[in-house]
Amino acid sequence: MTASPVPASETQPPEHIDRNRQSNGFWGMAAFLATDVVMFTLLLVANIYLRRYSHGPGQASLDPGTTFWYSLGLWASSGVLILAERLRRQTELSGLLYLLTAGLGLVFVYGQVKEYLRLTHLGARVDVNLFYTGFYTVTGLHGLHVLVGALALIVAAVLRFGGRLGERRSGFTGGLGLYWHFVDGVWAVLFAVLYLWSGP
Amino acid sequence: MTTVPPEAAAQPLNPPATHAPPRNFTYWLSTTNHKDIGILYLGLGALFFLIGGVEALVMRLQLAVPGNTLLRGETYNEFFTLHGTTMIFLAVMPMLLGFSNYLVPLQIGAKDMAFPRLNAFGFWLSALGGLTLYLSLLEGPPSMGWFAYAPLNERPFSMSLGTDFWAAALLLTGTGTTLTAINIIVTASRYRAVGMGLWKMPLFSWMAYVNSFIIVFAFPALNAALIMLEVDRVLSGHFFSHGGSPVLWQHYFWLFGHPEVYIMILPAWGIISEVIPVFSRKPIFGYEFVAGSTLAIAVLSFAVYAHHMFAVGFARPVNLAFAASTMLIAVPTGIKVTNWVATLWKGSIRFTVPMLYALAFILQFTFGGITGVSFAVLPIDWQVTDTYYVVAHLHYVLMGGTLFALLSGLHFYYPKMTGRMLSDALGKLAFWMIVLGFNGVFLVQHVLGLMGMPRRVYTYPDLPGWGALNMISTVGAFVLGLGLLLTLINLVVSRRLGRVAGDNPWQAWTLEWLTSSPPPKSNFSRLPPVHSSRPLWDLQHPHDPDHKRPRRHDKGGHIREEEKEHHQ
Repeated sequence: MTASPVPASETQPPEHIDRNRQSNGFWGMAAFLATDVVMFTLLLVANIYLRRYSHGPGQASLDPGTTFWYSLGLWASSGVLILAERLRRQTELSGLLYLLTAGLGLVFVYGQVKEYLRLTHLGARVDVNLFYTGFYTVTGLHGLHVLVGALALIVAAVLRFGGRLGERRSGFTGGLGLYWHFVDGVWAVLFAVLYLWSGP
Repeated sequence: MTTVPPEAAAQPLNPPATHAPPRNFTYWLSTTNHKDIGILYLGLGALFFLIGGVEALVMRLQLAVPGNTLLRGETYNEFFTLHGTTMIFLAVMPMLLGFSNYLVPLQIGAKDMAFPRLNAFGFWLSALGGLTLYLSLLEGPPSMGWFAYAPLNERPFSMSLGTDFWAAALLLTGTGTTLTAINIIVTASRYRAVGMGLWKMPLFSWMAYVNSFIIVFAFPALNAALIMLEVDRVLSGHFFSHGGSPVLWQHYFWLFGHPEVYIMILPAWGIISEVIPVFSRKPIFGYEFVAGSTLAIAVLSFAVYAHHMFAVGFARPVNLAFAASTMLIAVPTGIKVTNWVATLWKGSIRFTVPMLYALAFILQFTFGGITGVSFAVLPIDWQVTDTYYVVAHLHYVLMGGTLFALLSGLHFYYPKMTGRMLSDALGKLAFWMIVLGFNGVFLVQHVLGLMGMPRRVYTYPDLPGWGALNMISTVGAFVLGLGLLLTLINLVVSRRLGRVAGDNPWQAWTLEWLTSSPPPKSNFSRLPPVHSSRPLWDLQHPHDPDHKRPRRHDKGGHIREEEKEHHQ
């Protein structure tokens, strides 16, 4: 070996100096959400394609009015989350805002459960026809996403209160933020397609 | 990387690890090091390869003579379902991910993956998936074939819980695979050594990187299909039967299933692209084309999926579009094969065991590729669909292709992973048995398929020639099995008795050969400057580094006179 190699420390930047602005967690979550985009798209396409052949209770049984108000809560939570991240220096306030975000998500899930119970009571169960098979599958998967996100937000709030949500965990907050906004965005599409659009 | 004190400059480039923790059970259970996870993946793959191989041998025994009664029809169905699922999801995929895990950080000069704990989580999910699939034995294993066409996968036709175990197993391994792919994407994007641009990345890492994108977009299609299947089976939904569309299952399954074929071949191509230049003593011919054609394949792999469904009865334009895209994807694949052959051209070839496997790979994979393109001719597809011709084709690309590349990679990287060389004599004996055995099993199956023998039947009548060809196939299977057993013995025995390998036993030029064998926990303490795709060549030939070499072509586009005879 004639050329003198450079110490690794000089050829690789120290980990805390980030050449790109976003953390690993952010990009990892972005890749994960790409898988979610494919999955939600395919489930929704299945519903759109199959609902033409559906008999019995259909879209008319849904309650877009009430669901809209609960949805508004979910979408508002995205704004609250942005605020929670902006105000990260004020530990107490930021932690409370994280809790509020999670709370709004849980309220949305509560609204979904209420809607499910009402529909089931009307006889619009998952096994009744093609529309409702797809409806419950795709909204159920979305509800699961909200539930998981709300749990992660509660974890974030607890870490924030304890002052343990610093730079070192920027991957967690970055990824969580992206996830939550994505889940809210998906609901906008689902709400439009399932509740408002009468189909092809 | 930690800061290296100045006195370290006098020490050797990458001193071997001095002491390591004891490698006991809890160590392997809790490790997050990418090399350990890589080896765990390889071990998991090998274990299930053994299981899937035994299943194949039992099936071959049943088919050895006409009218055999070793297995009942239903048992035979369970055998081929488990064999297909095991080989694809639990043998080949884990082995390829094992190589990706082990090699990508080493090749790009990183100390570990971007998310080490996620990496371990992904592996254990896959392992749990394997366990889940075989727990179905308690309940009655799945028997609807590995692509589980609706409505055969629905409750009325598959009453046992085996199908649900199968779906759960695929969801678990699929999620594990996806997490690993995400990990590789972030790692290869952000942890490359300074100076290593995307177009200087070693070819295996290139293929593993592109492959991860295919995984990220293909596996959710399977997950969506499996969720829908379970809604049907458990909650009495209607997606694929009872008014739903059985063809929808085929669409979603193959939207995953065809990219999956490329998911299983891309890292294999990566291994071949590493092995061939090293043993030809030449840089790879057309690096940019070998790497760039991978991108074309990544996109096209989704555009060809419905060529698995020509027998469904689509409208003519749909069939023609997918036939055309199928022929189109042969172009980037052909570019790769051409470049490998051009790398061999005028090289000073060393016929080591990894090189032998790579050469067999080129021949067999090309043959399998050509029979694959023959399906793009619609009448041929309609004629031979669901016959042994398809079985022969898929085994030529998956076994003659991927498995041979895996064996090539195993022999090539074993010295790096263990610090010991494999036995050359035993390796060559096993190689010839595997080549003869493999071609013995599957070459004749092309003929059987053209003669009309359907796949997935547990026995067949004594038609002229069928018995003899099937007997050849079965004998071949046992020769193949014996060869693989010899390889396994070689792997185990050489761990203790093999010659000490040294850091770079094959005189290769990529970064993984810089560090000690086996590499220390954090891979490198120091890295050389990276200016080309062969940093070690540059390091050892400071007067003739790759990046200072004049271009091969003059301004008129002709190969310069002195380059025509340029050897290294």
